[in-house]
Amino acid sequence: MSTGLEETSDAETVDVTEAELEALIGDRALARDEHENAPGFVVNPDEVQSVLGDLKDEAGYDHLSCVTAQQYEDRYESIYHLKKYDDASDEVSIVVPTTRDDPVSESAEPVFRTADWHEREAYDLVGIEYADHPDLRRILLPETWQGHPLSDDYDQDKPQLVTLAEHENPLADDHHDAESDTMFLNVGPHHPATHGVLHVKTVLDGETIVDVDPDIGYLHRCEEQMCQQGTYRHQIMPYPDRWDYVSSGLLNEWAYARAIEDLADIEVPEYAQVIRTMGAELCRIASHMLALGTFALDVYGEFTAIFQYTFRDREVVQDILEDLTGQRMMFNYFRVGGVAWDLPEPREEFFEQTRDFLDELPAKVAEYNDMVTSNEIFQTRCIDTGVLEPDVAKDYGCTGPVARGSGVDYDLRRDDPYGYYEHLDWDVVTRDGCDNYARVLCRMEEVEESAKIIEQCLDLLEEWPEDDREVQANVPRTLKPDAGSEIYRAVEAAKGELGIYIRSDGTDKPGRFKIRSPCFSNLQALPEMTEGEYIPDLVASLGSLDIVLGEVDR
Amino acid sequence: MNTAPTPLQSDTVLLPELIGDLTGIAEFGVAGELLAAFIGAFIVGSLMLAMTGIAGPWAKRKITAAFTDRIAVNHLGPGGILVIVADSVRLLSKENIIPEDADRPAYDLAPIIIAGSALLGFAVIPMGSGIHLADPEVGLVYVFAVAGIASVGLMMAGYASGNKYSMLGGLRAVAQNIAYEIPLVVTGMSVVLFAGSLRMSEIVAVQNETTLFTIPGLEWAIPAWFALVNPFAFVLFLIANFAEVGRNPFDMPEAPAELVAGYQTEYSSVYFVLVYLGEFLHIFLGGAIITTIFLGGPAGPGPAELGIVWFIIKIWSVFLLTQWLRSAIPRVRIDHLIEIGWKGLLVLSFANLFLTAAIVGVIQ
Repeated sequence: MSTGLEETSDAETVDVTEAELEALIGDRALARDEHENAPGFVVNPDEVQSVLGDLKDEAGYDHLSCVTAQQYEDRYESIYHLKKYDDASDEVSIVVPTTRDDPVSESAEPVFRTADWHEREAYDLVGIEYADHPDLRRILLPETWQGHPLSDDYDQDKPQLVTLAEHENPLADDHHDAESDTMFLNVGPHHPATHGVLHVKTVLDGETIVDVDPDIGYLHRCEEQMCQQGTYRHQIMPYPDRWDYVSSGLLNEWAYARAIEDLADIEVPEYAQVIRTMGAELCRIASHMLALGTFALDVYGEFTAIFQYTFRDREVVQDILEDLTGQRMMFNYFRVGGVAWDLPEPREEFFEQTRDFLDELPAKVAEYNDMVTSNEIFQTRCIDTGVLEPDVAKDYGCTGPVARGSGVDYDLRRDDPYGYYEHLDWDVVTRDGCDNYARVLCRMEEVEESAKIIEQCLDLLEEWPEDDREVQANVPRTLKPDAGSEIYRAVEAAKGELGIYIRSDGTDKPGRFKIRSPCFSNLQALPEMTEGEYIPDLVASLGSLDIVLGEVDR
Repeated sequence: MNTAPTPLQSDTVLLPELIGDLTGIAEFGVAGELLAAFIGAFIVGSLMLAMTGIAGPWAKRKITAAFTDRIAVNHLGPGGILVIVADSVRLLSKENIIPEDADRPAYDLAPIIIAGSALLGFAVIPMGSGIHLADPEVGLVYVFAVAGIASVGLMMAGYASGNKYSMLGGLRAVAQNIAYEIPLVVTGMSVVLFAGSLRMSEIVAVQNETTLFTIPGLEWAIPAWFALVNPFAFVLFLIANFAEVGRNPFDMPEAPAELVAGYQTEYSSVYFVLVYLGEFLHIFLGGAIITTIFLGGPAGPGPAELGIVWFIIKIWSVFLLTQWLRSAIPRVRIDHLIEIGWKGLLVLSFANLFLTAAIVGVIQ
């Protein structure tokens, strides 16, 4: 892991043309495989590390965004979606086919730490084995699960008996290590501070954390498979609301909308894009408010007033979103090619209500700064705890406020523009603290930036000519993208880069639907942030990562 | 200002004697006195438990709700006050689950020790209106000593539960109590230097019989309550007291976000009620000590018969302060907590003691 080196090599090779990529990969490329979003290179399963290593060190592709695994009739395939932290629109896909009889592929983990969990998931759900992987266990399903649910020969009718005793009975093993003074402690799956059903296996020396191993999958609901069984046109859109279910619905819906619109070549009317942008930023505010409130619960204690304060303000956003979409959480408001309907009538009332909220927001943010971030005890708790160095953050594929709190200037709204963001005036917030405090401040400032965006959207919407208010493009009733076309598209969700990979098999349902969850990658960095610190710091770090288990486990 | 306190003779009649005289059972000799003492203890105990009963299920909810823009309980009875009955029935009718790994009888004794130690403390507190059970010469030392027994209960609860979170909570409780008991007692001693006595009634008397200053024009004599005489000691004592009773920002031993519920994780039903009662009794005992040695005890405007009312108002003010802190102040980290105790409060409390000693010496 030469994380310190790419800084210099970035500068030398800023723009890599396709020809240069071809030269770099050279003979190792068996074939080309064009994806809609990026050039793809097919490489041998035993040359993954060397190709990815060259791409990272020589060409500056330092962000392994996602690993997609899938099974074809004649082969397995792992796709490594690479990006650059400096230029998110510069992408390349490395496709690694393996035979059906012997699905062993070289692990990318020595090059990108983030590949650890992604490859475990690929092994778990699809069944590809990764040689040289440090810890190839199942990740979402229990250890005793039989078969790999997303592979073709999986018998879905066979009952799976996974009892607690057979899986991982926390009471069965005597975790006491007679040699050392450490103590094993299960934090979760039912613990007040895990923000859902997360199980963190912790080894303590006194109150100091020696080892942390997050165990996820308790909330796995087969979201990818459910999307594979729905039609592009209407049946997939309700699902994204349920990934990051704490009021980030529209941001999630946009991830799917963006992927399918680019795949099926659908032009979205500008008016709809403005509404989308406004709705998405409202969701971001609601989500960040919740993040601040729950973080206060973790650091202040369970009866703090801060949580109620943030909920009071979030409630206003929820009301606005309810007026806009007809729902409070599970919006299902975006449509392929636009949004479901126009702003609620009377429009003036909606504008007034939203503007009132924006007018009051600065005072509220100032109140939070008074109460929370300028509190001395809060500062001693958060500054220099949960430190995540920028190099480490990049290595783990961290995105969103977690990466920006570590000074990684990466925001897809600006770097890989979509919607109406590029026409609006706003800034990407970054902080150099790398600690829990920096991440909290980052979210608070992002709330203000989102407010700026909403304000401009409101101005635009108010002045939009009445005869040009087209909310949906003309999309055919049945969408059937060309067979074999593949796309990976991401948007900046509240927690970071939320990506969708879709492969079309020529029918009206996706052949493969893969979700790249920002929380999944961010959570992976937890051990780096907490080892050597105290239990309260583990709780604070977990809070500042702002994970939603619905999105981690999908 | 008369700052040279003369040893005062306690002329107040203690509650058992009063009961003995009123009911005539004092005539039966030792047995009568014992009975009168039991009746007196029963009255004081009931009063304190009743206050805890109001504070736990009802007042705490209402206060927290007021801080957080909510309404809280409002369905049962006026202002939801009958939720106390509902909660009592609910808590007492729950199954008492005792973990397999629990180390009995330590597990069973711990809740009784936690609740009992606090109740013992009220024996020497002068509550006004004649409610004062005993007035030994070493009253202040006694009250610190019995309040300190709670640490044993917390440790027992943590260790005997057979749960790792409980054990961490118990260990924290002990570390915290050791770190904060010393500043607490040392700061309390500075008051003794002023009062010249450890007897509770005399500490109260000295505060109220001395006039700090008189507001010109209004003829209001401000009594020399030690909170006014030495605000520095008062603040030190308040902080050490919050740590001692384990309230925010020092609620380390239970810290739900970190340790689920710390030493009380495994307690349910009646045992949980006892632990909970014990916690609230300790808050009130802390409030009673603060009231007695810093806020003039049961003294206040109006006739002396109102003493118990003033006393209750004062200890509820301290309770309110704990609830305020709980809503507004972040929890400190365990290592910071120990640091504040040993490096901060201990040094400051000794500085305060020497300063007070010097001032008292100079004036006398």
